[in-house]
Amino acid sequence: MIRNRVVHKRKMLWAFLICALGVLGLIGRLGYLMIFRSEHYGVMAEELHQRERNIKAARGTIYDAKGQVLATNRTVCTVSVIHNQITDADEVVRVLTEQLSVDEDKVRKAVEKYSAREIIKTNVDKTTGDAIRACNLNGVKVDEDYKRYYPYDTLASKVLGFTGSDNQGIVGLEVIYEEYLKGLDGQILTMTDAKGVELDGMAEERVEPIPGNDLVVSLDANIQQYAEQAAKKVMEEKNAKQVSVILMNPQNGEILAMVNVPEFNLNDPFTLNYDLTEEVTQEEKQNLLNKMWRNACINDTYEPGSTFKIITMAAALEADVVSLNDSFYCPGYRVVEDRRIRCHKVQGHGAENFLQGAMNSCNPVFIDVGLRLGVDRYYSYFEQFGLLKKTGVDLPGEAGTIMHQKENMGEVELATVSFGQSFQITPLQLITTAASLVNGGHRVTPHFGVKVVGSDGEVRKTFTYDAEESIISEETSETLRYILEKVVSEGTGKKAYLEGYTIGGKTATSEKLPRRSGKYISSFLGFSPAENPQVIGLITIDEPVGVYYGGTVAAPVMADIFSNILPYLGIQPNESYDSQTES
Amino acid sequence: MGKAKQANKKKKSFYDYSLLFVIIFLSCFGLIMIYSTSYYTAQLKLGDGTYYLRRQAMILLGSFAVMIFISKIDYHFWARFVVFAYLASVIMMVLVNFTPLGREVNGKKRWLGISDSISFQPTEFVKIALILVTACVIVRLVKQIDHWKATLIVFGLAIPPGLLVLMNNLSSGIIIFGIVFVMYFVASKKKLRFALFVGGFLALAFLAIPLGEQLVKAGVLQSYQLDRIHVWQNPEAFASEGGFQVLQGLYAIGSGGLFGKGLGNSIQKLGFVPEAQNDMIFSIICEELGLFGAACLMLLFLFMLHRFLIIASNAPDLLGALIVTGAMGHIAIQVILNIAVVTNSIPNTGITLPFISYGGTSLLFLMAEMGLVLGVSNQITLETL
Repeated sequence: MIRNRVVHKRKMLWAFLICALGVLGLIGRLGYLMIFRSEHYGVMAEELHQRERNIKAARGTIYDAKGQVLATNRTVCTVSVIHNQITDADEVVRVLTEQLSVDEDKVRKAVEKYSAREIIKTNVDKTTGDAIRACNLNGVKVDEDYKRYYPYDTLASKVLGFTGSDNQGIVGLEVIYEEYLKGLDGQILTMTDAKGVELDGMAEERVEPIPGNDLVVSLDANIQQYAEQAAKKVMEEKNAKQVSVILMNPQNGEILAMVNVPEFNLNDPFTLNYDLTEEVTQEEKQNLLNKMWRNACINDTYEPGSTFKIITMAAALEADVVSLNDSFYCPGYRVVEDRRIRCHKVQGHGAENFLQGAMNSCNPVFIDVGLRLGVDRYYSYFEQFGLLKKTGVDLPGEAGTIMHQKENMGEVELATVSFGQSFQITPLQLITTAASLVNGGHRVTPHFGVKVVGSDGEVRKTFTYDAEESIISEETSETLRYILEKVVSEGTGKKAYLEGYTIGGKTATSEKLPRRSGKYISSFLGFSPAENPQVIGLITIDEPVGVYYGGTVAAPVMADIFSNILPYLGIQPNESYDSQTES
Repeated sequence: MGKAKQANKKKKSFYDYSLLFVIIFLSCFGLIMIYSTSYYTAQLKLGDGTYYLRRQAMILLGSFAVMIFISKIDYHFWARFVVFAYLASVIMMVLVNFTPLGREVNGKKRWLGISDSISFQPTEFVKIALILVTACVIVRLVKQIDHWKATLIVFGLAIPPGLLVLMNNLSSGIIIFGIVFVMYFVASKKKLRFALFVGGFLALAFLAIPLGEQLVKAGVLQSYQLDRIHVWQNPEAFASEGGFQVLQGLYAIGSGGLFGKGLGNSIQKLGFVPEAQNDMIFSIICEELGLFGAACLMLLFLFMLHRFLIIASNAPDLLGALIVTGAMGHIAIQVILNIAVVTNSIPNTGITLPFISYGGTSLLFLMAEMGLVLGVSNQITLETL
């Protein structure tokens, strides 16, 4: 028998001690994992176990000035899959691909992904959702939630904008007022096993959704509708590319209507509002959609033409370089430096005073007046009137003014700017500046947003807008109103005359670039009552076919709109506002 | 002769009841944990929540009887069968690896038998057989044990069955060579060479990782061959290559905290940790019983190892001491490797936790091994204590 010797016993102790060291080391490692990393892994485990189902928060409603609903919510479905509960993956992929018209690859990827829940598609029609639910597929979940709905379809489409698949604003007011309109999504958190089956007896955490706030805008659906009809009518009559109308309260900048026909259907914003004649790629289609969503009143600039003479008039009167009775002579052109600039009346207006020059919209008169001011003064008025800045309207993507650099402005440039050529502004900039000049001289900020109302009916926020005081004096403003009233009652704007109302205004016919292409923009800017303007409007008709003079084409449309909305706004015919302003 | 001796010493003989108690406690605790971990999935898949519990309990009862039986017979009796045991283990491994009798489960050919219900894992038998064989060989060579020829013989004998095991079961192969290494270490009078060997081995293991990365860059190895290493280093980034399972274990451990969620309250066992009653059972123990429970279990294993040390130190002869040393090495290596894998301290490899994890063969041969150890303790005369 071989003895168990001391040397062996000592080695046994060694072996034991090494093993004990290993075990103790692992206890240490375990302590580290379970105490210091506990939170890290605990949270990750919780995320894995909890299936969260979002409860979509209702987005706030948009109301017009009279309380009409412009944008609200409708029930739609979200379709998702739970990997571990799927029994027939191929069938699930087939049905979902078919019903939802999404890529098969995308569905298959989601179906095969090892996660508690994978969303396939949101904003599915309730009928489609019901159809999928009726297939009774294991592992397919159809949850109902909200989708944006616009009861008037096309009304003010380019102003309101629409929302994307996650109910977030994409264009228009929906974007600008996103923070007020969007609610806070709620969640239902339930514990599940690895197959995603909910466990009984586990506490269900529920976070209630908070609905978004409602927005009240200054837009009036009735006025907007009427303006849209009028715009559409003239667009069709004149075969024009598009027609824009802005109606605004010149006293405070509230926009009553902003029309850009053709409008598009807000409930189907990803379909073009015309038929394509040829196949286009996805990218081209997106470009066409972006073009369709553009709001020409604020996203695009144009040469305003004769309507801009209002600004030259105001500057000259304010600088006192001209008075109503100053005499001018129009031979049908004016030579400035080496350039011969023609009047629209080729044979010339002959001798006329300033008032008559304005009523005739005579280019040489305004060239003379502009030159009297000089580049420096003209430029400083241009700036003072706020034309170099953006208007600050509460819509996204406002375009800035495209104007000569002051250093590069010679007499020729000054002459052309004086009657509204060789620079570009947005229609909204023009109407805002004109409104500020005729309202007594305070620069208003054009806007839609009036107030934010909580879902409990309580006013959360009332918007205030900056108004710059005295960009011109009250007297200049009054003279300006007088001249512009004459333009309509006796001058080029005669067709905007409306029995019983005093209307001030100015017509314009701008030739589009490149010149002599035969493409014009006819426009008319008018306000009423002339003595104390309550509403101001600008209509621009892009590329009318046939007669294209602003006075002939655009002015009557504004008269038609005014004849309807003035009584609607409570402005009675033959009522004098003079007494009111003086008292 | 054996019988007479046994009868003669009966009054004065010793029996390690402490060890017996630990064995009983651990295997019963194992039953509870198997029930806890497997109930939900067994109910879902087999319609019987107690399926795994009942199978394991039956095997436990049988194994317990086997253990008591073996422990009551002098271990010198069992030592007579070493040649047979050695040949049997080689033959069984050959049968598993190269004949249709070897059955594939989960892509691994580890089972020997004719049907799913009548089959067992011969690697478990190889472990106990090699403990006996190595003990006997060392006893023969003990005088020249530090001669290089002796080293060659001891390890040379382990190589045929060891390699056969290694072919499709890396972890069992490691355990087998580990056991032989520990036994040879105890028998030898030298220390430095073992320290050097272990040091060299560890250095090689650490060098292997950057070397492997270089080989992948050079195009000699494919990236997936290092998957286990990648998963070990960053289980979150390599979830689909196997990190998922490791992560699930870590989630379970991490969500346990100090005192755990309470017995039966694990969520990770609800299908998140795959086959939670097997290799990963320790992670569920951590989740349900917390750091406190897990540490208690590990200390219990340590106590068990200490009992082995006491029995080995007092064994009547070197053969008994080496058998117990082998068992000690076996349990120690398996426990340490299992917990190291579950805590992601080393790359993942499938190792069961002795006495706790579900598995009939493993339990049966463990109990047989414990029978041998208890048998050695039974041969200790109280005078020598």
